[in-house]
Amino acid sequence: MPTSIPRGCDRMSDFKSPITAGTVTAADGSVAVADETATAKVVVRAAAGTAAATDLGVGFGESRLRADGTLVCGTRPEEWTLFAGLERAGELAASIDTTGFVSVLDITHGRAMIRVSGPKAAKVLEKVCNVDLSDDMTPDGAVFSASVAKVTCDLLRSDRDGEPSYLISCERSFGGYLHAALADACTEFGATLPAGLGIH
Amino acid sequence: MIVVPCPNCGPRNSSDLRPCGEITSRPDPATASLSEWRTYLYLRENPAGWVTETWYCRSGCRRYFTIERNTATNEIRDSEVS
Repeated sequence: MPTSIPRGCDRMSDFKSPITAGTVTAADGSVAVADETATAKVVVRAAAGTAAATDLGVGFGESRLRADGTLVCGTRPEEWTLFAGLERAGELAASIDTTGFVSVLDITHGRAMIRVSGPKAAKVLEKVCNVDLSDDMTPDGAVFSASVAKVTCDLLRSDRDGEPSYLISCERSFGGYLHAALADACTEFGATLPAGLGIH
Repeated sequence: MIVVPCPNCGPRNSSDLRPCGEITSRPDPATASLSEWRTYLYLRENPAGWVTETWYCRSGCRRYFTIERNTATNEIRDSEVS
């Protein structure tokens, strides 16, 4: 009897975040941890000199917001991650010129994404990430990869309304744990964890 | 803690990286004797001093790079992409 390998969901109506807890916010609003997994994510690997690399036009460690709302991040040397509204995943993947040594992969369903925002966002991240988060080293728009609570993550500093804000994406299966770990790090700053959310 | 300078990501805690050991020259598989091959695979100099070794930036750029490290002091004087 032939069997089929589940390929994941190819319809956005099937989208389901691995993070079940809601946003965790400090009592004074100084920091919040929110689930932003419902974002289209497309990873592009393109050798230098290809049309795709030239079109993306963002260096390693940098990001740029396009006029159409697509956020282009230089995640690694010769590797980019594109973020946009959930419904645009297919459009984003199809928009890349695949001439030459180029690969395009829609990882919308394969990665979890969490936003840590607020004046004390860096203080929270410092507890679980050993990268220098000062404005000099990681200014608004900086892209870097690092271990966050022992989970390898891609991070983007994406300030909102003048307040520090970090978008953190990791493998989907780690999403629930990472959200709980970051929420736990917020408790020092006055956040109360929802029932059932904890890592201890 | 050892701070290792990744050529792409900058200084990182060694826990974000994976040490791959000192660099040894690979003998020709067609002509190497079993003894030479075993030496290449398993034996290291392991000096108390300067050694050239490969590290992998597993949490960052996911690239291999080469550093010169003093195994006695953990001083690092050079790094470059492998």
